[in-house]
Amino acid sequence: MKGAPFSFLRLGLVAQNTLREAVRQRLLHLFVGLALALVLGARGLRDFNFGAPELKFLADCGFGAMTLFGSALTIAATAQLFFSELENRTALTLLAKPVWRAEFLLGKLLGVALLTALFCALLTGLLAAVLWVREGELMALDPEGFRGGRAVSYAMVALGGSLQWLRLVVLAAFTLLVASFARTQVFAVVCGFGVLVICHLQHLAQEAYTRAGSAVGVALGGFLGGMFPNFQVLSLADSLDAADLPSLATWARLTAYGLGWAVAAGLLAVLSFRRREI
Amino acid sequence: MKSRLGLAVVVCAGLGLAGQVLAPLVAEPWRERREREPALRLEPGVAAAGQGVTLALLGGFRALVADAAWIQMYARWERRDLAGTEAFARLVTTVDPRPVYFWLNAARILAYDFPAWRIEAAGGYDAVPAAVQRAVNEAQAAAALEVLGAARRRHPESVDLWVEEANIHLNRRGDPLAAAAAYREAWARPRAPYYVARLRAEVLRRAGRRAEALAWLREVHPALPAGDPGAGAEVVLQRIRELEAELGVPAGEVYRPGR
Repeated sequence: MKGAPFSFLRLGLVAQNTLREAVRQRLLHLFVGLALALVLGARGLRDFNFGAPELKFLADCGFGAMTLFGSALTIAATAQLFFSELENRTALTLLAKPVWRAEFLLGKLLGVALLTALFCALLTGLLAAVLWVREGELMALDPEGFRGGRAVSYAMVALGGSLQWLRLVVLAAFTLLVASFARTQVFAVVCGFGVLVICHLQHLAQEAYTRAGSAVGVALGGFLGGMFPNFQVLSLADSLDAADLPSLATWARLTAYGLGWAVAAGLLAVLSFRRREI
Repeated sequence: MKSRLGLAVVVCAGLGLAGQVLAPLVAEPWRERREREPALRLEPGVAAAGQGVTLALLGGFRALVADAAWIQMYARWERRDLAGTEAFARLVTTVDPRPVYFWLNAARILAYDFPAWRIEAAGGYDAVPAAVQRAVNEAQAAAALEVLGAARRRHPESVDLWVEEANIHLNRRGDPLAAAAAYREAWARPRAPYYVARLRAEVLRRAGRRAEALAWLREVHPALPAGDPGAGAEVVLQRIRELEAELGVPAGEVYRPGR
């Protein structure tokens, strides 16, 4: 795109269009519906709860729904939105105009990031509402147990939602990185789930290699581990107690970590996409 | 082909560089989290757990997975499957170490059910020699105390864990002094119920440490609110009087409330 400088406006337009297209997808409705049903229906699962306090159990179900359905949604939507542009030839038409490939790809990433932000905000809000209502009921039943007022830290719930979103953005960036060179959508989706597993469990693999004492294994584990983010770090909001709220510095570090990985994977996706023949 | 290989090398190098730059940002919170969460370390329970832990770690449904594993544990408990019951009980506390309930009940199963099953499997209480029964009880109590010790690292302020430890010392190991020490620890925790203090005194009295029991009750009594029936201030005072009578405490040295 000689002559036309990089434009955030065009990037924003691609993002807007991506978001608009994403919200029309039936797959999105399915995942959102399932996640909402699980958050709302978590109260029905209370009979299966033995150990955790009820409110913690509800929060676990909510964040679990966000992780599971959010990850599936992110991977599927990213791959689908990218490949539909290639298969329908709309990418070809678009890139024939003064639009950078970087604008196109980062616009896609931003669009998916907005989509996941809406998803996380919706579920976090719903989870907070479910917790608020149930906590109110429990307070009425047992005023002695809530002498100090409400026990749930809603700031912690919001933090949990924001960390979930960071994870999904990183996952979207990695899926887009794979999609930038993949030939088929299925390959990108499968690799996306592979990345999800690696990012969650890589620390265990590294520890296993270290314990096995294999120098090759340790080197391989360290090499692979260094190339993927650790998603377990972004699950710090594991409590509903205000006392466990991480400091502002920790929160800033976690945000920088998540966004840093998303930017790195996004830029590498641009680099890869620039060499792709469409 | 050469170009694709070059691109792969550049992408890998770029990701590796990003990892090197970003990992130090979260080194401290990650270290703290791993210390708190056994499921994030490669402990035997995690390694053996397979799909359950993987699902819990991936999906975030830790409470649900732990509950499902607890039901699985009960299925094995009903069959008196020692290895299966213990494996699942340890798995549950590894996947979700937050509820004290799991730790307490895992310890109770180890301390009370397992010895009975083992002795019955060996021929029953009439056939198994008393020395063997004692050894079984001791071994199972030690396993239960180990579980409670691990639980306390996660829940240092839990009264219930110390009370359970005291009960195991008392009922399974027949060691009232160790039980008294555990009751003292329970009493030192925030929101400890009043009965813990009375139990400690009673255990000391039964162990023949009447003077120690009296000193303990004298120490505790001023802290008991008079208007709270649960505190049992009157009962404690009555026991103080009984112990003073048993020990022949001179009239001038008897305990006087409020002084």
